[in-house]
Amino acid sequence: MTSQDIPPLGPDTPVILETRHLSKTFGAVTALIDVSIKLRQGEVLALVGDNGAGKSTLIKILSGFHQADTGAVLSHGEEVHFHSPLDARAHGIETVYQDLALIGDLSIYHNMFLGREYHKRILGLKLLDNTKMRTLAKTYLDRLGIGIPSVNSTVDRLSGGQRQSIAVARSIYSSPTVLLLDEPLAALGVREGANVLGLIQNLRRQRTVSIILIVHNYNQVFEVCDRINFLHSGEIVLDASTSDTTEEELIRIIKTGLGREAIAAAEAQPQNLPPEEGARS
Amino acid sequence: MPSVETKQPLPPRKTGVNPPTSWLEKSLILLSRYREVSIAVIALVLVTYFQVGSGGQFLSVQFLGVVLRDTARLGLVAVAEVMLMITGEIDLSVSGTFALAPYVMALLSAVWGVPLAIGAAAGLLLSVLVGAINGLITIRFRVPSLITTVGTLFLLQGIVVSIYNSQPIVIPVQEPFNAIFGESLFDSRADSPFSVHGVTGFTPVLWTILIVATMALVLHRTTFGLHTIATGSNLIGAREIGIRTNRIKVYNFMIAGGCAGFAGIINTCQFTSADPAAGGPFLTLQAIAAAVIGGTSLLGGSGTAVGSLIGAFVVASLNNGLVMMGAQATVSDIYLGAGILAAMILNVQVDRLRTRRRI
Repeated sequence: MTSQDIPPLGPDTPVILETRHLSKTFGAVTALIDVSIKLRQGEVLALVGDNGAGKSTLIKILSGFHQADTGAVLSHGEEVHFHSPLDARAHGIETVYQDLALIGDLSIYHNMFLGREYHKRILGLKLLDNTKMRTLAKTYLDRLGIGIPSVNSTVDRLSGGQRQSIAVARSIYSSPTVLLLDEPLAALGVREGANVLGLIQNLRRQRTVSIILIVHNYNQVFEVCDRINFLHSGEIVLDASTSDTTEEELIRIIKTGLGREAIAAAEAQPQNLPPEEGARS
Repeated sequence: MPSVETKQPLPPRKTGVNPPTSWLEKSLILLSRYREVSIAVIALVLVTYFQVGSGGQFLSVQFLGVVLRDTARLGLVAVAEVMLMITGEIDLSVSGTFALAPYVMALLSAVWGVPLAIGAAAGLLLSVLVGAINGLITIRFRVPSLITTVGTLFLLQGIVVSIYNSQPIVIPVQEPFNAIFGESLFDSRADSPFSVHGVTGFTPVLWTILIVATMALVLHRTTFGLHTIATGSNLIGAREIGIRTNRIKVYNFMIAGGCAGFAGIINTCQFTSADPAAGGPFLTLQAIAAAVIGGTSLLGGSGTAVGSLIGAFVVASLNNGLVMMGAQATVSDIYLGAGILAAMILNVQVDRLRTRRRI
């Protein structure tokens, strides 16, 4: 396994982003119930769960797109309130959304710098410095080895994989402390997916950026993640290190919707043995 | 498990597009790359057709002056729509504002003797306010702008007609105001270095070009323009990035109102009185047609100020050229409609080619 050449995080690694008892409802729909997670420095945390489990909602609260009804978000141990994605960005939290949030009618370089444009003053007017943004985008994307025809072409002319790569590249451009990735591999072919996974693995090796990752493919979870948080119907039912759980256990949780202890108890019940013995191993 | 390749970049994609073969294809590609070019070609074809058809009268100073004056009037209203249409909204009340602003100016001058310049400022302010109201109703109450602005269109028309018993109000000639904002066509006192008397529509055309140039600069060289395109192209995505899309929309409603009011004032300065019936719905529809012919998308995300000015020229040429060539006023509407449809079909087809060839 490729993850084995990366040493595990020490036990006293500081927590960089944390939620406490987050709840969120949309009208009659309850998206999150009492969700508490901890993300440590340099950690890659997988958020898994079935469709509608609340994974994207949690990501969107952390990125400032949604606001929680109750509960708190803590960045570096201090409570923060994100009213917009710009607030989260200011705290070093960058996000790649499921829909990528790319603007089809704008050029690649404008997309790269959207919301953090470079300006120059001409006759006292604050105008876009397109030349600078074009050059910076080109150098940066070349360095990451992302194959695109030209930074001038509009995003709607790119393939799905190219768009995904641009979205990920945009999010790590400002060297964020936290990176939120909502299904970064969903729309990709095998080879393009491997490229993005490799990018994540590289970031993990450096341990400078902490990542929360939504993935559906458990192989990929075990390949690049340190820890797994399992969401079921808006609740965290499992919080375990990848070395401490197996794909089989995840599948059992997704089938039953129960946490580790509850499953153990349920399996123990029909048998005649006392519930404490054997089942909790 | 195979190790992940990280250093190796993906090979460049093969798009499967063959290089253009015929000159026809090459010229179509050129057309599609610059939206303004395709509409400029249509305009050229029209001018040639009218010039030949009228025995060389179309390009005479007198006639072109009339066409350009109409182009300026329509172009200013069309340009008022462009930025708003790029955000994915539309303002059908622009012709109401077009009538309101100069009427307020004339009324203030007639009733209280307020100087035209101050009256114009008041009219402009009111136009911007109308835009803000349109925007707030659309955003806060989530009424589609198509409906909001139909409401304000009738509201404004009703107000303008009823304030002064639907009487036209005579406006005085006050220099240098008239000279700067559009020479009076009926008063020789209004001659000045800013206007070339006898050439109709000289000053309005200069103003229109100035506004179009400013709009093009704002759209392509400022953060506001960039965020305007982003809002219309991908509303959710723009919000996820942190663009305040609601604010961007309201500002663009205000710009639309202000431009329409300014267009009304410029237009009125050429006549001796402010006409309460100046802004029928027809003006709005022609302006939107001009913007769309000029390459502005009704779905938002793309559009050009220069294109809509050329679009306005096409509509104004059709309007006047057909009449000049002897078409009855009733028949000329048929040609105008057909002309608009033909221009639109060509535009959409060129656009499809652009998308298909990924150029």
